[in-house]
Amino acid sequence: MKKWLARIILLAVLGAVGYWGWTVCFPSAEKVIRTRLETLAKEASFTSKEGVLAKAWNATLLADYFTLDVRVTISLPGTEHSIDGRDELMQRAVGVRSVLPSLKIDFPDIKVVVAPDKESAVVNLTARGKTPEQKEFYLQELRLRMIKIKRTWLINEIVTVRTLSLNRIAGQESCLCVATRERLRV
Amino acid sequence: MNCRRVTGPERCGVKRMAPSYAGRSHGTSKISGNGLTGCLSSEVICMGTNADAAQEPSLLTRMLIGRKPKRTLVRIVILVAMAFLGRAFVLLPVKVVGPSMSPTYLDHSIHIINRLAYLFHEPQRGDAVAIRLLAGGHIMYLKRIIGLPGETVAFHHGQLYINGRPQEEPYVVSRSDWEHEAEAVKSNQYYVVGDNRGMAYDDHDKGRPTRDLIVGKVLL
Repeated sequence: MKKWLARIILLAVLGAVGYWGWTVCFPSAEKVIRTRLETLAKEASFTSKEGVLAKAWNATLLADYFTLDVRVTISLPGTEHSIDGRDELMQRAVGVRSVLPSLKIDFPDIKVVVAPDKESAVVNLTARGKTPEQKEFYLQELRLRMIKIKRTWLINEIVTVRTLSLNRIAGQESCLCVATRERLRV
Repeated sequence: MNCRRVTGPERCGVKRMAPSYAGRSHGTSKISGNGLTGCLSSEVICMGTNADAAQEPSLLTRMLIGRKPKRTLVRIVILVAMAFLGRAFVLLPVKVVGPSMSPTYLDHSIHIINRLAYLFHEPQRGDAVAIRLLAGGHIMYLKRIIGLPGETVAFHHGQLYINGRPQEEPYVVSRSDWEHEAEAVKSNQYYVVGDNRGMAYDDHDKGRPTRDLIVGKVLL
């Protein structure tokens, strides 16, 4: 009896290890996108220790995450502007790095919906940015459209969105509460 | 068991512990004097043997894991499980960021959200609720429900009107001259707004989230 039990436990363990190995070797599209966006957040962040050239070089690395025809639409109170194309986006990124001493970006929430054909995906995410001058961080909800080109997921479109008012402009003051498991200083 | 004479407050402490020892070691200790609650002239007389001393856990051990480690372990497991389940499914501690709910909920204050508040009934007008964002629940809005599904919400000179009738709002302390034409709240939606109406209308975030985005009601 004990022998059978041991065999069953062994099989269960082997099954779990096999499943884990499978997910590591062949991750789902959702996981790939999530990991890619987390890496993007890290690369978009920079510290004051970086030199001018390093900042410029690191900004150009962001190009790997966007398609050539990427379109960014940013809606803020009283204004709305857009960025067309990867080149313009990179110029803006270099400009931001030259103006701000440091910036920390992360995505506390990422929700990925992959299309049935597995070639495109819509991502809702909450972007959080903080500069040394700010006491609080800046939050922005974004909706991304990603497409798969040569087995790589690239961002094709970025739009600012708002949970409370999807038809209203973003950037309004609000009262947010942060789940304390995040242990955020906000 | 160590035997010594005790007097004063310390004696009272020892005396309270003595009965359980007596019960466990079959009368190796006894109490004389004014009984369990009196601390006037009694003293503890210890009559333990060396074997008893070897079995008896130290005070530190007793304080940390108790006299019955297995029972303590079970208690710890149950407590941890309850805390985990409570944290995951019932109570959600949150930290408020921003001025739009002041003075009711101040910036940087910590509160508890009851996730089960709307298990048996739908949200009511006046409830302060947590609303998750589209992407997830790590960051949420904290707002008050003022409009229910099917109603119209409007502001004139800072006064709230529901279906054309003015509403009392005891939680609002200061009001700006808000103007907003009647807006219909669709089914499965709730109109939410902050308590800080002293803010400029355009600076204040408000709107109509759907029912599924409402995480729970503020408990504390």
